[in-house]
Amino acid sequence: MVGNKAAATACKLARVQVASAFPITPQTTITQYLSEMYARGEWDFDFVNVEGELTSQVVVQGASRVGARTFTCTSGPGLLYMHHPMQVTGSGRLPVIMAVVHRGYKGMQPDHSDLMSQQWTGWGHQYVEHAQEILDSLLMAYKVAEDPRVRIPIAVGYDGYVLSYTAEPVEIPDQAVVDEWLPPNKPMPSILPDEVDPSTFGRGWGGGDPQMPWKTHHDAIMGMEDVQKEIMDSFEKTFGRRYGNGMIEEYRMDEADVAIIAMGTIAGTCKAAVDKMQADGKKVGLIKLRSYIPFPNKDFQEWAKKVDGFAVVDRSICPGKGGPVYMKLRDALYDQEEKTATLQFHAGLGGKEVRVHDFKMVGDKILKAAKGEKVEKITWV
Amino acid sequence: MHGRGGQGAVTASRIIATAAYEEGTYSQAIPMYGTERRGAPLTAFVRLDDVRVRERELVHTPDISIVLDPLIAKQQAVVDNLKPGGLVILNTAHKPEEVELGGDFKVATIDATTIALETLGRPITNTAILGAFAKITGLLKLESIEKAILKYFPGRLGEMNIAAVRRSYEEASDPIQAVVTKAPAEKVDIHVGGYGVLKDVSSWRLLTPEIDVDTCIGCKNCWIFCPETAIEWDEDTMKPSIRYNACKGCGLCANECPVDAIEMVRVEA
Ligand code: SF4
Ligand code: SF4
Repeated sequence: MVGNKAAATACKLARVQVASAFPITPQTTITQYLSEMYARGEWDFDFVNVEGELTSQVVVQGASRVGARTFTCTSGPGLLYMHHPMQVTGSGRLPVIMAVVHRGYKGMQPDHSDLMSQQWTGWGHQYVEHAQEILDSLLMAYKVAEDPRVRIPIAVGYDGYVLSYTAEPVEIPDQAVVDEWLPPNKPMPSILPDEVDPSTFGRGWGGGDPQMPWKTHHDAIMGMEDVQKEIMDSFEKTFGRRYGNGMIEEYRMDEADVAIIAMGTIAGTCKAAVDKMQADGKKVGLIKLRSYIPFPNKDFQEWAKKVDGFAVVDRSICPGKGGPVYMKLRDALYDQEEKTATLQFHAGLGGKEVRVHDFKMVGDKILKAAKGEKVEKITWV
Repeated sequence: MHGRGGQGAVTASRIIATAAYEEGTYSQAIPMYGTERRGAPLTAFVRLDDVRVRERELVHTPDISIVLDPLIAKQQAVVDNLKPGGLVILNTAHKPEEVELGGDFKVATIDATTIALETLGRPITNTAILGAFAKITGLLKLESIEKAILKYFPGRLGEMNIAAVRRSYEEASDPIQAVVTKAPAEKVDIHVGGYGVLKDVSSWRLLTPEIDVDTCIGCKNCWIFCPETAIEWDEDTMKPSIRYNACKGCGLCANECPVDAIEMVRVEA
């Protein structure tokens, strides 16, 4: 099945109660699959067709507020249009789950600029590689988001076209097993601190410290890390599949001297490149980053003690600042006793294809940098 | 796999991938989308493997090239990137010996357009070529392809497509080594992306519109409806004319003309 079908199938398995979406390429077929499932009465849910993304976000927000399990999805410019209500969903600590089918905003093709532009909305952000991982990650996202320790909305991003429309084998777990593992969402109107008047839906914080809403929100997201790791373990126990520790997924790092860091579909291409490089005796591995928010600081600090170099391949750029993953990684490593070499690569922007030989070039450069040779710090692949 | 928007190359690639899944092997079918536009050349890619396919780049040096469109089948680009000794399966009425593409590869032909017209009633060649693919390559069983087809086209449509696949399986013959050994020097880029106002799309045409200005009543319908803005309007004579470089031969103009002043004429293949 194609990536978008995997997303729609996850909604069915999770028994989503309210879904709302406005079609936009390359997300469109999720809305088609959901409409077909609705028409066939495959399970009991409401599918709300709306006139734009502002509304789709508000619909799931309201439904989540009264305790429904909800789903929405969008792409590129549609996500930008959703920006304002996304803040409210985050601040309200509503466990909405959204699939973001990446489409860059300088064209139709995928890069991660759409989801990256929503970093300040207070959601969890995940990036996934293949269709099976879409299905599995959406199921896990519900369990994480609805956990009483978390109550944070989560966006699961995956690349348009090369994943949304690409057909590949996907194992569909048994409905009964999913039902047992993922019980219905329990409405929790009292998640916000006591100072909040519940009738104001999170708006009225009384006369207390106006900084408090930001602090509780930030703390809640930072706390997601442990829950995500725990739920990854429980997912594996139940379904037999795992993606590293949930935050990062290492690929052939056992023997590696250096690591390439990548997110999304290009991490798959990187795996193929790592196989080839290791066959040639080059000790390059991959650390696939799954959770960008919260960022796995501790994992990278641990890996920094074991490897001599990190090559970060960013599929988005904040013009005037640089690659977001690179910046965040450097931040995580700043207090390390020993410096690890880091290189920045800009790749796959505007949907530019990233090929196996590109990753071999990345591998060669970081191997050199790790040995202390001089290579340019920033490369446009 | 090369075809045109509307011919079903993407579905064909998914049917192959699904059939492989039916046989217990791993597969991946990636479509290359540009502007979604009926008639535009497009390519879809399939990988078959014993292990899970990791890489997600497009297939740049295929073992096999399948061409759904008889006009694209005449373009050297469909074999240029084949691995040496690879295989090309062309939808064309010509015999493999008559194929003018050059290089070190094997070539097989199948008249999928005729099969599709006779079994489906429409020139949608995506399933009609799959029978030939199964027989010539031996990579997939006919039954698996039929099973996969029923997943994409349930019911009567599925049965019709299966009939097309069976007939193409029967009619397919063994490939031969390409007769022409050298690729021609002059090449055409088959992936004309972007919008037609800037590019030459005349190679997409199977049918060419011809305007009879004497019959034309100057209603401007054709000018309004042409999706490629290929029709020029002369304000003095109040008559249309066609910029043939920009015309993809869709026939909308002829369809919209209230006095049948536009005729779609078949291009010699
Ligand atoms: S056939 Fe007619 S409508 Fe179609 S592109 Fe050509 S001129 Fe335009
Ligand atoms: S639609 Fe027909 S009658 Fe009208 S302007 Fe075009 S050719 Fe003339």
